[in-house]
Amino acid sequence: MEKFAKAFPSKPLKTTAGKPWALAGVVGSGNLEVLVERGSRPSDAMDCHVETSIPGYKASWLAALADFAHHYPAGGTKVTINDQGAPPVLVTLRLRQAYDHLTKGEK
Amino acid sequence: MKKPSARALFARLFGSSAKGISVEKSVLTGYAAAGGTKVCVIGTCDGTYIDNAAALRLAAHVIDCIEHHPKAPIVMLVDSAGQEPNRVAEMLGLASYFGHLLSCLELARRKGHKLITVATGQAVGGAFLCYGMFADRIYALDSASVGLMPVEAMSAVTKIPVAVLRKLSKTMPSLEFGAKPFALLGGVEEVWAAKDDVQAKLAKAIATASTEDNRAELGRKRGGRKLALDIRKKVLAASAR
Amino acid sequence: MTGTSLFHEQTARQRIAALVDPRSFAEMLPPPERLTSPYLAQLGIPVSFDDGVVIGKAKLGGKEIYIAAQVGQFVGGAVGEIHGAKLTGLFKAAARDQVPCVLIIESGGVRLHEGSAGEIAIAETMRAIFECRAKKVPTIAVIATDIGAYGGIGILSTCCDFRVMTEHGRLGISGPIVIEKWMGKKAYDSANRALVWKTSGGKTKYLLGDADALVHDSADAIRDAVAKLLGKSSAITLTSVKTRQKELEKRLKRFGDTADPDAVWKAMGVRDIAGASLASGPEFAAMAKRGK
Repeated sequence: MEKFAKAFPSKPLKTTAGKPWALAGVVGSGNLEVLVERGSRPSDAMDCHVETSIPGYKASWLAALADFAHHYPAGGTKVTINDQGAPPVLVTLRLRQAYDHLTKGEK
Repeated sequence: MKKPSARALFARLFGSSAKGISVEKSVLTGYAAAGGTKVCVIGTCDGTYIDNAAALRLAAHVIDCIEHHPKAPIVMLVDSAGQEPNRVAEMLGLASYFGHLLSCLELARRKGHKLITVATGQAVGGAFLCYGMFADRIYALDSASVGLMPVEAMSAVTKIPVAVLRKLSKTMPSLEFGAKPFALLGGVEEVWAAKDDVQAKLAKAIATASTEDNRAELGRKRGGRKLALDIRKKVLAASAR
Repeated sequence: MTGTSLFHEQTARQRIAALVDPRSFAEMLPPPERLTSPYLAQLGIPVSFDDGVVIGKAKLGGKEIYIAAQVGQFVGGAVGEIHGAKLTGLFKAAARDQVPCVLIIESGGVRLHEGSAGEIAIAETMRAIFECRAKKVPTIAVIATDIGAYGGIGILSTCCDFRVMTEHGRLGISGPIVIEKWMGKKAYDSANRALVWKTSGGKTKYLLGDADALVHDSADAIRDAVAKLLGKSSAITLTSVKTRQKELEKRLKRFGDTADPDAVWKAMGVRDIAGASLASGPEFAAMAKRGK
């Protein structure tokens, strides 16, 4: 297991409506779960916590998360990830799904 | 250590009244006495595997007890290595046979029969779940093999090295196999030692049994299973909102 | 959109959302509470925020229910200390509040990584299920995936009032691989999918009377079946257990020496074995003359 945390600059989350948290994905082989939670106050950072079963890919994780924080206004959110070896493309997809659920209130 | 014969064990638990227990294909049924009162006895011996027929015989005896000996305590002895791993048994719905046995025991409980288990030999997996673990109170002889499975077997299935599991079991008794660690989890009320007067212990167990499932409380108190009770309480609190 | 996809392909959360009235589900002990398994963490195995089971309150057809869905992808849906305590708590809440409880099962049984704690948790949940039954609070198990209900959870499913299955669902205790190891490939070839499903699949379980409904692999069909059972409960009385004893004795006498599941199907009135094998769940249910 490898564990790390980092905050990334991101424009503040726009909506105040919607759900307080959203979850996408499932912890299973080659899959991951992404939990996105709304912070209590506006902020210009997306706070990320990752636990992955495959060590050694910290750099690509940080790149993917930085990219997401750059493209989506996610400032003030906390992103927590439990990963069981998901491919990078799935990481990005789950981030987007969780973000959409959070902001649009979809299940 | 040489294991005592099933008969010697029955005599230890029930004295001369143990003659009322009959054994057929390692499945035992009968009536005996404990603490001066008549008790119904069901169970297994010789580490036998429980199949559909065995479950039915145990269930039939519980029904007999309910019909003919109202409120007589039911003592369940457990020495079984597991459910019969057999395709025909599965096809015919072994799980349903076990469910039926559990339903019979539940009916007995509701009709005022106290249910006491004594794990006498192997008390593992599905064989323990299908009747023994359903008692009001569960006891184990210290020589009994109680638990999910030995560390070696756990290692073989999970691919986690034995050494790792052994080391962790020092702080997590759930991973350790045996009557004592099982008691730390609350799964066993009390472990009876070789020197104990088990007839007196059994009589007391029957006298003090209550139908409230106290295992989570015990597990928390004894420190072997620290989360279960709190999580359950959280659910009960959240649902009451 | 979820209502039209196959139930067995959905995640636990999607299954609940698709089954219950729109937006009626309120999760209890949701992911932000981070109640994750300390056992898995110590063993270096990824944890999950719900520990493999989603529980909560919802409405189905306007009626309040408690509902749980196991996450088969997460350690095989197996029951650890937290997972099991969530289930125990839910059934206890159902008994206390006299609200029906629906359990969408997808579990191989006890989570081996947590040892005996999971085993005790299953036993405690069984007790809680029977608390519901004593109060005539309906308990309904849904078994709709190939992970199905196995081990202790297979036994637990038979403690519920009713079982709703699909043809994908499997119900048993020992899985085919374990039995093959034990009895040899000749007695049970675990790679023979047809044999595996005829041994433990929904069709055979329905035929023998161990599943109460056999429905399409869709949330709509499962919802209909569950809704029909919500108002019912199956009482445990001396008469009911004596009747069941006779049924199970008869079943064992008739089929105890029958190795071939097709022979069981035939004896139970299925005339066209090939056709019945290909039939959907409800088609099969219509073809079968169920023998109790």
